[in-house]
Amino acid sequence: MKNLIHKIRGLRVFVLFLKEMRQSRRDRKFIAALILPPTVQLILFGFALNPNVTDLRLGVVDDSRSVLSRELIAAFEASGSFRVKTYFASPTVLGQELSAGKLDAGIIFPPDFARQRERGETAKVQFVLDAVNSNTAGIASGYAQRIINSFNQQFFKSEAGVKLDGATTPLSARVALLYNPGLRNSWFILTGVLGILLILNGTLVAAGAMVKEKEVGTVEQLLMTPAAAWEIITAKIVPLCLLLSLDIWLALGVGWLVFDVPLHGSLLLLYCAGVLCVLAGVGLGTFLATFSRSLQQAQLLSFFVNPPLAMISGATTPIEAMPMWMQAFTWINPVRHFSTVARGILLKGAGIEILFPNLLVLMVFAFILVFFSARQFRKQLG
Amino acid sequence: MKRIIAQMRKELTQIFRDRLTVALALVLPLILLVMYGNAISFSVTNVAIFIEDLDQSPRSREYIAAIAASRTFRIVSLPGGLGKDEALAAEVVRAVITIPPHFESDLMRGRNAEVQWLIDATDANTANNLRGSATAITQSFCRQNGLNPTAIRPAVSAEMRLWFNPGRETYKYIGPGTIAVVLALFPPLLAALAMAREHEHKTILQVYVSNISAREFLLGKTLAFFVLALAEFVLVVSSGMLLFGLRFVGDPSPFLIGALIYLFCCVAFGVMAGTAIDNQAATIQAVSMVCFLLSFLLSGFIFPLSNVPSIIRWVAYVVPAQYFIEITRDAFVRGGGWSAVLPGIFALTGLGIFFLFTAWRKMRRMQVNV
Amino acid sequence: MEALLEITPDVVAREMLTMDWDEPQTIERSATAIKIRGLRKSYGALEAVRGVDLEIQRGEIFGLIGPDGAGKTSVFQILGGVMQPTTGEAKIFGQSARETRSSIGYLTQAFSLYQDLSVAENMRYMGELRGLSRAEIQRRGMRYLKLFDMDRFTDRLAGRLSGGMKQKLALACALITEPKVLLLDEPTTGVDPVSRREFWDTLAQLSADGMTIVVATPYLDEAERCHRVALMHDGVIHQTGTPAQLRHHSGLKRLEVRAADLSRAETLLCKVESLADVQRFGDRLDVMARNAETAEAITRATLRSAGIAVNEIRAGAPTLENTFVAILRELNGEVNTPAFPVRRKFRDRAPNAIAIGAHELHKRFGKFHAVKGINLEVKYGEIYGLLGANGAGKTTTIKMLCGLIEATSGELTLADEKGGFRSSFVRQRIGYMSQKFSLYDDLTISENLDFFAGVYGVPPAERAEKMQWALEFSGLAGRGNMLTGSLPGGWKQRVAFGAAIMHEPSVLFLDEPTSGVDPLARRAFWQMINRLADRGVAVLVTTHYLEEAEQCNRLGLMVAGELVAQGTPTEVKAAQRGQLIELNTSAPQQAANLLKAEMESWRVSLFGDRLHVIVDEEVLSAIQNLQQRLRRAGIDVRDAYEERISLEDVFIAVVEQARREGKVAAED
Repeated sequence: MKNLIHKIRGLRVFVLFLKEMRQSRRDRKFIAALILPPTVQLILFGFALNPNVTDLRLGVVDDSRSVLSRELIAAFEASGSFRVKTYFASPTVLGQELSAGKLDAGIIFPPDFARQRERGETAKVQFVLDAVNSNTAGIASGYAQRIINSFNQQFFKSEAGVKLDGATTPLSARVALLYNPGLRNSWFILTGVLGILLILNGTLVAAGAMVKEKEVGTVEQLLMTPAAAWEIITAKIVPLCLLLSLDIWLALGVGWLVFDVPLHGSLLLLYCAGVLCVLAGVGLGTFLATFSRSLQQAQLLSFFVNPPLAMISGATTPIEAMPMWMQAFTWINPVRHFSTVARGILLKGAGIEILFPNLLVLMVFAFILVFFSARQFRKQLG
Repeated sequence: MKRIIAQMRKELTQIFRDRLTVALALVLPLILLVMYGNAISFSVTNVAIFIEDLDQSPRSREYIAAIAASRTFRIVSLPGGLGKDEALAAEVVRAVITIPPHFESDLMRGRNAEVQWLIDATDANTANNLRGSATAITQSFCRQNGLNPTAIRPAVSAEMRLWFNPGRETYKYIGPGTIAVVLALFPPLLAALAMAREHEHKTILQVYVSNISAREFLLGKTLAFFVLALAEFVLVVSSGMLLFGLRFVGDPSPFLIGALIYLFCCVAFGVMAGTAIDNQAATIQAVSMVCFLLSFLLSGFIFPLSNVPSIIRWVAYVVPAQYFIEITRDAFVRGGGWSAVLPGIFALTGLGIFFLFTAWRKMRRMQVNV
Repeated sequence: MEALLEITPDVVAREMLTMDWDEPQTIERSATAIKIRGLRKSYGALEAVRGVDLEIQRGEIFGLIGPDGAGKTSVFQILGGVMQPTTGEAKIFGQSARETRSSIGYLTQAFSLYQDLSVAENMRYMGELRGLSRAEIQRRGMRYLKLFDMDRFTDRLAGRLSGGMKQKLALACALITEPKVLLLDEPTTGVDPVSRREFWDTLAQLSADGMTIVVATPYLDEAERCHRVALMHDGVIHQTGTPAQLRHHSGLKRLEVRAADLSRAETLLCKVESLADVQRFGDRLDVMARNAETAEAITRATLRSAGIAVNEIRAGAPTLENTFVAILRELNGEVNTPAFPVRRKFRDRAPNAIAIGAHELHKRFGKFHAVKGINLEVKYGEIYGLLGANGAGKTTTIKMLCGLIEATSGELTLADEKGGFRSSFVRQRIGYMSQKFSLYDDLTISENLDFFAGVYGVPPAERAEKMQWALEFSGLAGRGNMLTGSLPGGWKQRVAFGAAIMHEPSVLFLDEPTSGVDPLARRAFWQMINRLADRGVAVLVTTHYLEEAEQCNRLGLMVAGELVAQGTPTEVKAAQRGQLIELNTSAPQQAANLLKAEMESWRVSLFGDRLHVIVDEEVLSAIQNLQQRLRRAGIDVRDAYEERISLEDVFIAVVEQARREGKVAAED
């Protein structure tokens, strides 16, 4: 046994590995970079990218001053999506407020609103929405429509005793929302951001580790030792992957604690996919390092690579909303494949039999990137 | 004043000597502009769906045709060996629609028929949109085929008006925001780097030894990067207008004034960051974290800020991009004019002065701090 | 020896502080330029400056010498007004350092230039910061650039200049405001002897014009050129005075002993109690003693009984380095070189086996021909010194020899192999210490040693012993847990050297191993290098200290990528034609200027307050000739005699000659 330990301690790879571990352990910035930014990013992304439509500021012009208009206003308030902010004397003032961005929506009751209804006609009300935010406007107009529909149902149930619901419609679409019935956008964001984090952190940290020896000048000394280039590179990559893959657990912890992200599939599979993702990032970082003389140069170069990786991936926005040429790019983005795997495992409970195409692609990416950039880096060393 | 100009000229010379810096300042913003403008959109089209038609009747085929006619969906067939559930789980399709047997006969006999829409709701926002499309398609199918329920005139109906952006074009929303977000990153990043570099390379000692004051030194730096930011601004705004089809709505002067103050504010932030951190690598991390992430997430760029929990929302008040995004949207979409823009301009001025003052406090002694 | 050891540091310090300097001053020093009283500076718990009092006169070149970490840089930063002292005051012309900034020029240890600005842009910015007009900057800038022979390079980026040129540019930038006080913090570390000498010639001229100059330097031959010198150690100034006063202070005489087996002679003489100190300098031993005659007798007797042939013994005045080393020994105790734990048998080789060989070695970088047809052979057990100015191609040559970069053409031999230098089998037998610090700053010293021991495959059983040795060698025993990054440069060099030889290599490459290392530690380095060579290790070393280059068995002098001279130090010196005459004059600077104008400038150089002139004619008539010429200009020659040509004289002559022949275009 003692012999074996001695043998392992005598291995050059082990010695190099130990050195890298010791260096990163002492590097407080590195440890901080491993923990702090991912946590902040996960929480920020999870909370900030929230498409829900709540508390829209509603302005009211009630020229009708009737029971009916007040009941409808109450229905809007009760929905939680709208909040009456101000009553206005005229539509013009409301319009001004809307263009100043102080309101999100306005409802204008004409003077004969209640009388229309009394005449047995449909009472018409004007609903104005600030549609600058196209997505919110779309959802908000849907909500408004739904509020008015249910107001109508309530109205008939109580006043006319007529039931106006699905039963009377001959054809209806029964929609089932799978995997995320509560429609929590944070689940979507978190599973996507996880991949971005792993690759981005991998890129930056790896570029840093690779370029550091070049920058400080220790690389020459290292090259004069009997250590082979593959030993040096392996000893650098392995500890990086081990440490960076800790971010997977961190992300899962944050997701579970803060956002109640469920886990329906295999943790082990997710971890493996995460390691592949980190490897791809490390490969990319090594590649950047071959072009840089200093750490900050590598970091600046990463600005050309990282934002596209993060954005053209479907990790935070739907791929189907991108132009076709951009959708094509998502296929060669490891983040896309990891997002599919993460969502599959966490939210859908999918297993390897379903996710293997994506896993395979991830694996190919990881190995090509690591292999290619390690070779490139080695060439530069020699 | 002469010293301020000397400082500024030196910075500009350094900026334009480094190709990477120039690329970062002038090329990357354009790349980001194209990318953000196109990648951030929620109006999905051609979503892959699979339709399982258990009826195989003329009516069911009409229903399918109605779905196919909408731009939202794209009907695909499942690759061999893949079940419905697996296809959903593997993200091969986003939704599976099942038309029940006896669909046609049920409809003919006036019995209720239900089409099942299974929607992958991992992306909550898209799922919400798809649900809306499902209802809309089904309703219009009913109308066209005279399947309307007994016509009861509704009590109340609303006439919907979408102001400023009646076509709900994403460009009009994301475009102006992109301009603000892109400008929030590179000028402060480069300013912070230049500042940190003086510390790292110890050239700051030469500055300390000379009799330039902290005020002159900081103003010189700020001015140089302001000039750079201005160049980037012209580039970004003109290509943004071209790319996203944006036009000024009304008087552009509030926008231009606001932009000048915004650029100043961003550069001042960079100078402050570079003064506080004397290591270039750490500076990049800090500035990209703050400028990139906060401007991206806590500025109302993608979703309204009102959705963010209030504790986090407080942070948004010190994010300059938040104010400038509103100013750009006002200039290009709403056209609210001075009254709509003024509070934002005041906030930006305040922030800019605060940033520069903080930098000055750290530097004012022009000595090595131990 | 005993007598000296009894003096405790405190006694020395007290004695030295009270010492007056009464030598007649050649330069008028009417006013006090700098006055420092009770200066202290603490960084947290560490007290870097512990009560310094100094007074520096106008027009003086004042040298601050001391080992690494003595607190010199802190004093400079306070004088420059860029840092507040903890207590005490530093006044320049009666005002606080902060207020007089506009009349101070300050050169920091690192090149204080913007590497991405051109020469002209750097000058312009510095000038404008000080509020000069463009015309003034243009006028003064060109004047200094012309003075430094740099006016052709105004458009070149500062980052592309050689080390010597960078320092001259930095000096020009500092001078552009025509400061009254110039603060220079180790301006010539890592700069080659030729450039260093030019730099000092400029300083001498500036001081003659009335500028006050405070300078720190690790090169004691440079310190000789100061008017006064202060020795700083551990935050305290221990001795102040003219170089001559310091030299004579100990009251010791110096004997230059040239003998057959110097290393054995040194060991033997060190044990003789009546000799105050024995130091090895190049091809000789310096024996310090109170009485020259008795010491000579003792030395001859000792060496004769050991069977060592004595070639020559000469009496002379002690050098500043003798004094410095003696004082440091009193303060620090001797840096002893612990015995290296040898664990491997040295392979038996044929006598004269070649360890490092190069035949017609060329290297081209694009159009640039960096190394032009080098032929050299280093045998096992030999120390080969590669000398040359910055940019002469030394480092490129070393990198080719040890296989770090590919040669463009030529044949190489390394550790008995003809090729495959990248194989771990070959590298196992090679030790390498690069120019830059080659340790990991973010590991502790022990972790660094552990790493290098492991990666070179030192068996685990031997590691503890080897690491212990390296720690002791660096004088850091028991402090292995310190972070390497927190060590001053010189200490790091020692650890790096230890790390490079733990695996008992048979070929050792050392690229400027002693740059920035204090004299005492440098001696420990050379002791170790000599021991390794005695064991049969082939050593190839580069250095800018030409004195230590004398310890090499053979030397190669590189100029512009070519080996222009090769041989033992004695052969190299003998190859230099002409005789060297040392002159002691009343106005050394003027004398130097005068003679430089009259004869080829490479023949004349200043060594401290003495003038070296290389002449071709017979010595006596040459001396007469020189005396006449100087007397005509009103300069009094106190003393003139023939002196041995030193390696530095040869070096300068060779480089200047190559320059004249157009081989080197000064730069490019």
